[in-house]
Amino acid sequence: MRFKFIAVVALALLAGCATPPPPEPGSAASKVVAMGKLKNIVVGAMRVARENGFMTVNAQLSNTSYNNKTFYYRFAWLGPEGFPVAEEETWKSQMMYGEQTRFIQAIAPTTKAVDFRLEIKTP
Amino acid sequence: MFARFSFIAVIALLASGCANTSPTLGSKNISYGDTKAVETVTNEFGSTDLQMIAESMTRSLAQSGILQGRPVVQVYDVKNKTSEYIDTREITTSIKTQLMKTGVARFASDNTAMQSQVDQLKLQNQSGLYKKSTVAKTGNMIAAKYRIEGSISSIVKRSSDYKDVFYKFSLQLIDVESGLAEWMDEKEIRKTTER
Repeated sequence: MRFKFIAVVALALLAGCATPPPPEPGSAASKVVAMGKLKNIVVGAMRVARENGFMTVNAQLSNTSYNNKTFYYRFAWLGPEGFPVAEEETWKSQMMYGEQTRFIQAIAPTTKAVDFRLEIKTP
Repeated sequence: MFARFSFIAVIALLASGCANTSPTLGSKNISYGDTKAVETVTNEFGSTDLQMIAESMTRSLAQSGILQGRPVVQVYDVKNKTSEYIDTREITTSIKTQLMKTGVARFASDNTAMQSQVDQLKLQNQSGLYKKSTVAKTGNMIAAKYRIEGSISSIVKRSSDYKDVFYKFSLQLIDVESGLAEWMDEKEIRKTTER
């Protein structure tokens, strides 16, 4: 009986320690690089298009808090080999009202970009 | 013998431990920061504003599809209509650099570089100093199809508790022959300081 109890506790502890599975390649979650834990900001659906040869991204963000929240973000543009094709973008500061959902849009600096990462951080 | 050897080894170890292996020199109060960081030291026009404006305008223009076939563009200075001193040439230089990197346009000598260009052509053609076959011929400069011009203005409001600055940057691309504005965009920035 005692052995069973210890085994159950050990299993529960192990399950707690398990890291969540990595996001599926190509999914919206796989494009997000959160620097630390995001506080009250949730990244939702992303729409990617190519307009006049330039990659364009529209990302949906939601503020889950009742209060206004500020976050910082920037995009990194990657080539076919997964390496950056342009210099780092400047960080942008964005304020969101309580429970607001909004879209942020970005255009790649060069037609060579085929992939991107959204770097995001909350203060 | 062993004791003497050990003593020397310990001294050598201590000396190497004290050696400065850091590739820095000087005061610890000075450091290099991230040039792309959001700068909020004061609410006057700053590096983040300059970078955001250049980035936003360049990408909007490049993606618009107006600049087909790498046309020649002449960049004019941005008019500063704010109450602050802003080096607007840096805005146009950043826009020009980034557009050049995208490869969508070529740039004719702008009004500040034109004098140097003319001086060089005159020097090569009139001084008799250069070998004839290497002299750049006059009358071959490429005229601009488009010109880019813009302005930056601000609205500043102050109260006992707040200082609010609203910047509006406008940029337009004008067809030199027709005089038509073919593309235009704006970037708005609001900065508020709570006292």
